[in-house]
Amino acid sequence: MMNKRISQIVKIAFWIIVIAFFAWTFANDLFRPIVEEFRTFTNLLIQHITIVLISGLLAIFLSIPLGIFVTREKFRKSEFWIVNIANLGQTIPSLAVLALAMGFLGIGIKAAIVALFIYSLLPILQNTIAGIQSVDENMKDAARGMGLTPAQILWQIELPNAASSIIAGIRTAIVINIGTAALAYLIGGGGLGAWIFTGIRLFDNSFLISGAVPVTLLAILIDYLFRLMQKLLVPKGLRLAEEAQKS
Amino acid sequence: MIEFKNVSKVYNGGVKAIDNVNFKVENGEFVILIGPSGCGKTTLLRMVNQLEDISEGDIILNNTSVKQSNKIEMRRKIGYVIQSNGLFPNMTIEKNVMIVPDLLGWDRKKQQDRFNYLMELIGLHPDEYRKRYPHELSGGQQQRVGVARALAADPPVMLMDEPFGALDPIIRTKLQEEFLQIQKEVNKTILFVSHDIDEAVKMGDKVALLRGGKMMQYDYPSEILHHPANDFVSEFVGQDRVLKSTSLYSVKDLVDEVSLDSYHEADSAQPVNEDTSLRIVISKLLNQEADQLVVEDKQGNKKGKLTLELVEKFLHKEVKETPNR
Ligand SMILES: Nc1ncnc2c1ncn2[C@@H]1O[C@H](COP(=O)(O)OP(=O)(O)O)[C@@H](O)[C@H]1O
Ligand SMILES: [Mg+2]
Repeated sequence: MMNKRISQIVKIAFWIIVIAFFAWTFANDLFRPIVEEFRTFTNLLIQHITIVLISGLLAIFLSIPLGIFVTREKFRKSEFWIVNIANLGQTIPSLAVLALAMGFLGIGIKAAIVALFIYSLLPILQNTIAGIQSVDENMKDAARGMGLTPAQILWQIELPNAASSIIAGIRTAIVINIGTAALAYLIGGGGLGAWIFTGIRLFDNSFLISGAVPVTLLAILIDYLFRLMQKLLVPKGLRLAEEAQKS
Repeated sequence: MIEFKNVSKVYNGGVKAIDNVNFKVENGEFVILIGPSGCGKTTLLRMVNQLEDISEGDIILNNTSVKQSNKIEMRRKIGYVIQSNGLFPNMTIEKNVMIVPDLLGWDRKKQQDRFNYLMELIGLHPDEYRKRYPHELSGGQQQRVGVARALAADPPVMLMDEPFGALDPIIRTKLQEEFLQIQKEVNKTILFVSHDIDEAVKMGDKVALLRGGKMMQYDYPSEILHHPANDFVSEFVGQDRVLKSTSLYSVKDLVDEVSLDSYHEADSAQPVNEDTSLRIVISKLLNQEADQLVVEDKQGNKKGKLTLELVEKFLHKEVKETPNR
């Protein structure tokens, strides 16, 4: 009861702040650059999305198979090494990863994509591993005992039961990625970071806001889309079971 | 038929879980593997479907060494039920039950008919449960579905590892009885792990008692109870072993061995059916519900009077005279 009331108050306070913020931005005409330089804006936005999309897709296509690989009985031992290497990418500050990538690939969008790719590996990998490892051993044992092949166990048992965790990992990675991609500008990768940093340098709130607000909205939108996807991709039986457990 | 030939199992790390075990399970026989926790029951069971390798010796399943069989194909011909049912939460009840037939490529119609048949067999309405998910079922229902799933492709052999072990006593008793009925209909060769001697005596055609990976005794339940092979067996089955054996016999068995006292209309006696277990009979007689019971056959004909003395006489005969088979 108490918790519900508190969460309601927090929600209302949050929306008041949001509305106040937008009232302030519109009152001061802070979105002027988007209107006046619409073409530049769309270019930056497309660059931003491209960086996120390519680095994210690469990370997904590497991390999920890698997560599957290290959870195979035969390759259990490799898990320690692979997770630690991926960990390395994550513990180095994002700016340093960018700088390193620039060192190897020079200035430009390529270095930004590689840096963000490295940065996204860990959350997806970790969640894939955790998801697969959380699949009940007895369930797998029953599957094996009934004569499912290892591939059938992977596709019909392990992956569906790990889907929720894997998608959550991808969501986390991509959402962080959208924010971090603003730094791409610093190594010549473009994106909405261009306006944000220009705004900071020139003490011009209108550029800062016109860059930062779309980045934030993009992150929120993507987060929402992934939650929707989770609903579609996680098998119904599991979702119902989770919901039943919560209530 | 399942034949264990000098089977031993040593786990990595040196634990000798099974030590030179020899026995045969005939076709259609229901054999209970029993023994204290850690004695190797699960290990022995899992060597049959090759979920565990055999370290030494061999297991012959329907004339073929399980070592030489194709594991995947062999497992599809063996029903496997475990304690924690192992149902797949991401699949509907129908998908769960039909998983092996699906792997074997049965067509839709055949699968549907089989599903309906199996659900009726385990006492769940097919259409009501078809599209449900495992978490929507009670523990007892889930375990029933586990049994149906193991029976799905009509395998000749069933391996069951404490299938009713996690259920509360009332549900467990119910499922035991239901399963005995099912076995009457399907007549499988069954290897069934239990740690409960009452369950073993009640369900098994034969009982295999293990200790520390060694076979202590493999025999009919009545033999295990009346003629324990050694002190361990005797201790394991309990000092009330003769009482336990009473659930093995029905009034009819008694009538075949000893003659009933004659019955007069004037006597006040409670009627008892010929199929009633002696355990119930003794309980009734001790309970002061009646000093004597009158035995009736299926048509309701009164065949004679049954008293505690007669039960005692019968049990003495059984304990002393059962030939060592
Ligand atoms: N995977 C394993 N690795 C090593 N030892 C095991 C393994 N599984 C079982 N054991 C050991 O083998 C013995 C028999 O175990 P188990 O067959 O599970 O007994 P039960 O089913 O009768 O309780 C025990 O001592 C147990 O600790
Ligand atoms: Mg066990």
